Amino acid sequence: MESIQDAYSKGKGSIPERGLPSFLLKRTFPFILAFVFLLFVFLLPLYRLISLSFVSDDGLTIENYTRVLGQPATWNVFMNTLMISGGATVIAVLLGVGFAWLIAYTNVRGKRLMQMFIILPFVIPSYVTTLAWTQFLGANGLAAKWLALLPGDLKPWNLYSLSGMIFVLGLTHYPLVYFFTMSVFRKIPRELEEAARASGGSKYRIFWRMTLPLALPGIVNGGFLAFLASLDNFGIPAFLGIPAHINVLSTYIYQQIVGFGPNAFARASVLSVLLGALALLGMLVQWGLLKKFKPMETAREDKAPRYYLGKFKKRLLEYSVWAFFLVTSVMPLLSMMMTSLISAYGLDFQWKNISLKNYAFILSESPKTKQALINSFQLALVTTLAGMAVGTIFAYLHTHKPSKWMKTLEMIIGLPYALPGTVMALSMILAWMEPIPGWNPGIYGSIMILFIAYFTRFLILQVRGSMTAILQVDSSIEEAARVSGTNGWAKWRRILIPLYTPGILSGAFLVFLTALTELTVSALLYSAQSETIGVVIFGFEQAGYTTYSTAFSSFIVLLILAGFCLLYSFETIRHRRETKDHDHKNRTTRTAVWRFSGAETDRSGD
Amino acid sequence: MAVLGPSGCGKTTLLRLLAGFDTPTRGVIQMNGRTVANSKSVIPPEKRNIGMVFQSFALWPHMNVAEHIRFPLQHHQFVSPELKKNAGDRVKEVLDIVALGEFAERMPNELSGGQKQRVALGRAIAPKPDLLLMDEPLSSLDAELRMDMRSEIQGIHRRTGASIVYVTHDQSEALAMADRIVVMNRGAIEQAETPWMIYHQPKTEFVAHFVGKSNLVRGKWRDGTFSPDVAEALDWQDQGVSDELKQKNIFPVRPEQFDIGLDQNGVPGIISSVQFQGKEIHYTVQVSGAAWQVITDVFHRYRLGQQVFVRIKKERMRDKPIDRDISFR
Repeated sequence: MESIQDAYSKGKGSIPERGLPSFLLKRTFPFILAFVFLLFVFLLPLYRLISLSFVSDDGLTIENYTRVLGQPATWNVFMNTLMISGGATVIAVLLGVGFAWLIAYTNVRGKRLMQMFIILPFVIPSYVTTLAWTQFLGANGLAAKWLALLPGDLKPWNLYSLSGMIFVLGLTHYPLVYFFTMSVFRKIPRELEEAARASGGSKYRIFWRMTLPLALPGIVNGGFLAFLASLDNFGIPAFLGIPAHINVLSTYIYQQIVGFGPNAFARASVLSVLLGALALLGMLVQWGLLKKFKPMETAREDKAPRYYLGKFKKRLLEYSVWAFFLVTSVMPLLSMMMTSLISAYGLDFQWKNISLKNYAFILSESPKTKQALINSFQLALVTTLAGMAVGTIFAYLHTHKPSKWMKTLEMIIGLPYALPGTVMALSMILAWMEPIPGWNPGIYGSIMILFIAYFTRFLILQVRGSMTAILQVDSSIEEAARVSGTNGWAKWRRILIPLYTPGILSGAFLVFLTALTELTVSALLYSAQSETIGVVIFGFEQAGYTTYSTAFSSFIVLLILAGFCLLYSFETIRHRRETKDHDHKNRTTRTAVWRFSGAETDRSGD
Repeated sequence: MAVLGPSGCGKTTLLRLLAGFDTPTRGVIQMNGRTVANSKSVIPPEKRNIGMVFQSFALWPHMNVAEHIRFPLQHHQFVSPELKKNAGDRVKEVLDIVALGEFAERMPNELSGGQKQRVALGRAIAPKPDLLLMDEPLSSLDAELRMDMRSEIQGIHRRTGASIVYVTHDQSEALAMADRIVVMNRGAIEQAETPWMIYHQPKTEFVAHFVGKSNLVRGKWRDGTFSPDVAEALDWQDQGVSDELKQKNIFPVRPEQFDIGLDQNGVPGIISSVQFQGKEIHYTVQVSGAAWQVITDVFHRYRLGQQVFVRIKKERMRDKPIDRDISFR
């Protein structure tokens, strides 16, 4: 076997180190550089934020805290925040668990379409949903017209209120609970429940004594995520709360920053540290609770229905579900589109008042909207591509060479997404105004800061997406390539990239969509030339141009839906081509589920 | 050569060390006199002249059968120039060897378990490696297919002439296919010899029990005869017990070496379990302080709870086996 000898001489003269890909070794230095860079970009903003909250004219102090906490307004906002997030979480849990049970356990028909409607709040940014709801329940909206037909002086519910915010937030975040509960429901071995029934338990008792307790990990997980997402959300309280002078922490911080005034940044940073601490505390509790649960023994998902409803009950349930979707999804969006088609706000929806002039305005006349579309697409595209490269490399290293370092790094990368968007945006301002004291590169005030902010905030989504994609490919697949003689470009080009790509693209799609319609971060970081789609819609709405905001929102919704149809048909074709065997069903749901839940996409903050 | 051992004994680790996926913490691995791994550095798998068949087959879901076989021909670093030039012919040849000629265009998910196995085999042998590593290649096939694949792998071994290291936990697989068996337990090699010797002259209690399912009878060895503790008056003739076990005063008796009778020359015991197997009957006989497994023919049947006498059959296993005892290098 002289060939081994040849391998030596062909090589670097010595046996190469371990089994590491060689590029790692040759270029250890760039990796250290990248590591330091990541630390700088991800941790410096937080450091700046926290340190500012402790600094005043006379040096280090807790004066800022005592002043902010001494004001009754602060406590008022705090209570509002807890009440709204708590209330929204209750609604989200009830709806989420209910739908999860319905879809996982019963034999209702049309589950696929139902799932699509459940996903809708993830796909459509929450500020657009809110706008749609205000049109539906507004003074000239559909709801008001129907109520006028009824006897009595009935007025639609005022959404610009605490209860309105709780309602819309709950509707926006229930899919989180749904997905986490659903995956646990399906993993509960049906024998457990059958054994309980054989032991004489009624259906009702079994649900309360067996199903719910067993599904608790999923419910808790989803519930906490819904709570955190509500805490983080900016779009809904901004559209509903600001006009009604009801503030939550995220909008309060926003108003401090845009209102300037003395000590604005110091006050905002104190509030941000508090909000950030609240979010991290929530995460800590969630983590602690989840650690207590024992993992279920079966990892297999059982998708067959477990309760066969009678014909009448089944019909009744199906009709109720469709009625729910009609009222909570179709009607609001339809109302929004109706508003966008009338020539002047306040006019009735009649043939003579209908025109496309609002669309003409946003698509050709207004330079703002065009610029916003370009900005948002650019931001989303660059964020997605940069995330795909960095996120996938990181995910590959993390899965193939797990270490404490990598775990720490993952936590650091996850931090900007875990923190509420307003907190993150403020820390970005503080960090990039003068990244090194005395040096202002002009990043803040240009679109650059949005690139940096989006990249740091959404990188974790791509990392998780890529990790899922990589873990789905068994390590022996890669080892087979190595035994076949390649550990370099050919392995990547012919084996790994083709196999990873679908999963990586799913993650990338999520990043793209999230970045495209982002509002929270851009609302604080935009400048005259770098307005995003979200910022422009928010601006129209604040200035009272409801016909423009609805037209632009409708346009965005149609764009997103078109994109989704495209993606859906693409995926269908791919599955038909690639997986014909039993793997098929498994994989379809796995992609769908992790894309929308595993990646913890809470459409946060918009 | 087969590496045989229970799960968790380290046989897969051994294989991965041979392949270069893992690094030894101590010691040296040599191939043809060349060091390929020590505790500091390792030649990675892609730079070793090996082929490997994985337990899970590890087929690439997006490539068809022919592409699987062509891939190592294009990338394996030890493929001779002629072979590389005639890659197309080689693909055909390999497809013939593994009898997949008609399936060249099929994707992995369109193949049955046995066909997937043959693709994995074909991919491994295509570049004509010096050493072929197989990690429990039959364990994910059903029993009948496993029997067929045994002879196919043997056939491929004959045709290619490559050395094969074959990891398995199934002793009948190892006995049937290997020229040499390495029995492993708890990360250490217990015995490495021909199947005949492993079976008939186990050197350790573990090998005796794991390979031959032997009853480890304790007693005293005196000049080639053995008197078991449970019946000291008896004299069992040496039937080829290894010196190692003799020193431990053990006589390993495989179940089929025992016989059961009612006449009093044997170890008295009571039958505590009877399992009818069709061509034979498995008994468990409770002798004082031990339970012995005994396999007898179906012509004499005994009842559960019956008082019987266990004796050893008079066979001479010391006859030289046909494949002479060449100790493992």
